[in-house]
Amino acid sequence: MKRLVLAVALAWLTGAGSAVAQTPAPAPAAPPPAAAQPTPVAASAAKAITDEDLKSISGPKPEDKAKGDPAGTITGTVNDIPVSDSKKGLALDDLVNTVGQNVIAPNFIWTLITGFLVMFMQAGFAIVETGLARAKNANHTMMMNFMVYGVGMLGYWIIGFAIQMGGVAPNTNLGGLAPLNHEVAISLFGKNWGLFGTQGMFLGGATYDVGVMVMFLFQMVFMDTALTIVTGTAAERWRYSAFILSSLFMGAFIYPLFGNWAWGGGWLATLGASYGLGHGYCDFAGSGVVHSVGGVTALAMAIIIGPRIGKYSRTGKPNAIPGHDITLVLLGCFILAFGWFGFNPGSTLGAATSGNLRISSVAVNTMLAGMAGSFSGMYYMWIRYGKPDASMTGNAFLAGLVAITAPSGFVNPMASVIIGLIAGVLVCLSCEVIERKAKLDDVVGAISVHGTNGIWGVISVGLFADGRSNYAGAWNGVPGSVTGLFYGDAGQLVAQLIGVATLIGFVFTFSFVFNAILEAVWGHRVTPEVELQGLDIPEMGALGYPEFVLREEAATV
Amino acid sequence: MAFVGIVVTLAGFLVAAGSVGFAAANGVRLVIVLLGIALSLGGIFGILNPAYQKDAVWKH
Repeated sequence: MKRLVLAVALAWLTGAGSAVAQTPAPAPAAPPPAAAQPTPVAASAAKAITDEDLKSISGPKPEDKAKGDPAGTITGTVNDIPVSDSKKGLALDDLVNTVGQNVIAPNFIWTLITGFLVMFMQAGFAIVETGLARAKNANHTMMMNFMVYGVGMLGYWIIGFAIQMGGVAPNTNLGGLAPLNHEVAISLFGKNWGLFGTQGMFLGGATYDVGVMVMFLFQMVFMDTALTIVTGTAAERWRYSAFILSSLFMGAFIYPLFGNWAWGGGWLATLGASYGLGHGYCDFAGSGVVHSVGGVTALAMAIIIGPRIGKYSRTGKPNAIPGHDITLVLLGCFILAFGWFGFNPGSTLGAATSGNLRISSVAVNTMLAGMAGSFSGMYYMWIRYGKPDASMTGNAFLAGLVAITAPSGFVNPMASVIIGLIAGVLVCLSCEVIERKAKLDDVVGAISVHGTNGIWGVISVGLFADGRSNYAGAWNGVPGSVTGLFYGDAGQLVAQLIGVATLIGFVFTFSFVFNAILEAVWGHRVTPEVELQGLDIPEMGALGYPEFVLREEAATV
Repeated sequence: MAFVGIVVTLAGFLVAAGSVGFAAANGVRLVIVLLGIALSLGGIFGILNPAYQKDAVWKH
């Protein structure tokens, strides 16, 4: 079998004109078909190859290599294939193992580099949130965004990763992830409902594995993105110590639990295989898992912590509290958009085989939705208020990106633009409802950007998924492509809505109960005196801008 | 009232998640799930948030 695979691979390489293929190859048994049909060529040329055949393959001579290789034609040849037994020379085992490594290696590189891009989104969040806060809270807001990275990572390393991904195996893109092999499940309505994984605490034992490390890094930076959403909503009045405790718990338990249900082989992911609901809950890159989890937790925090002093008059009329630096805000939006090219395309967890070349489509969908969101949001504000508000245009840009995150791997470019256009208006409407009707003070608009539009993104998968994606022929264990209501599968929409109900009904409740307990035993909010003075000196011991002259604020408006 | 709000919110989730066991037809499941979502939203914005707003800082 191995020899047959190798023969097919070599025949394909012959067609591709690689250095290996330039050596004598077995004659094809039949005339080659058209170039547009490479598979029959490979099949017709299939012939068992032996170690002896490989000995006839020669690479470039040392003297030729010494002259340099400006055309790149003699670099990367048979000479570069490592041999396990130098006396025996190149053997079939060496060749097959090298092919295997060369399938996994680009997946590792792709996933790691896109993970690095997602990590850089922390910088974007930090300056967006700090720019939208007042100067007197700049140090405090920046420090929350800085330390949420480490605090979240600590909780996730201790137990969060194990809960989320401890039962995710197998994953073919990253070499199998065999050590992540235990999911705790209960039997309900005649089916298994996966609840949480158990393998990978402290990344110890068998999870000291190269593939697991890639998965940990990528999932960790996603988790941190969710955590930093909450700091934006609760900025300018959140006790720093309470923020540490709240974020640690969120990174260790709240985020990983929903992450398991959606991405770790939990019950939401298996709604398709178990109950025939499309392909189960589908969230390509995390509109729900990352953004909505952050958004509904931010909503819980906004209710518990209450609005800033001066945000509402005694009659309940909201007052605008402008941020101190709009240039930071819009620069942060661009940094976030840059990082989103890691967030969405990276969520294939690979660049080679298994339909992963769709990364180009995912990237284009991402940029289109962001553009569409910024346009519709800007024009909404322009028409409604007479000016193209900069901060809301930035938020609309992010809303488009948030909304396309779940469907980016399943929809076409036209649908991406529609999803983004709706998101841009939706974020403006949601901000108005949150501020005026619910009377909740969300400093950066995170509930609307990430919560509302995260949910819209989850729903849009169930509407717009066009059935054209093909990730190794199946998704969530259900053969075929993810297909939404507009393309014929109503069951997919039901699965998506169950995910929405879980976010609003369960994740919100979990977050609320924990943070309400923390409020009772520790206290989330600083004193009114500290809030009026600004949190920089009382909480952090230093001003963000020591040379600024800060304005005195009245206790009431 | 805050406790009632959180219970209603959680109940919405249980109704929606239970839809797969209560019904086999996707149309029926869809209706049940939408009811569950409405219940949860009602719990948050109709009960829980007003309970917290009673003592809001801006009313003092």
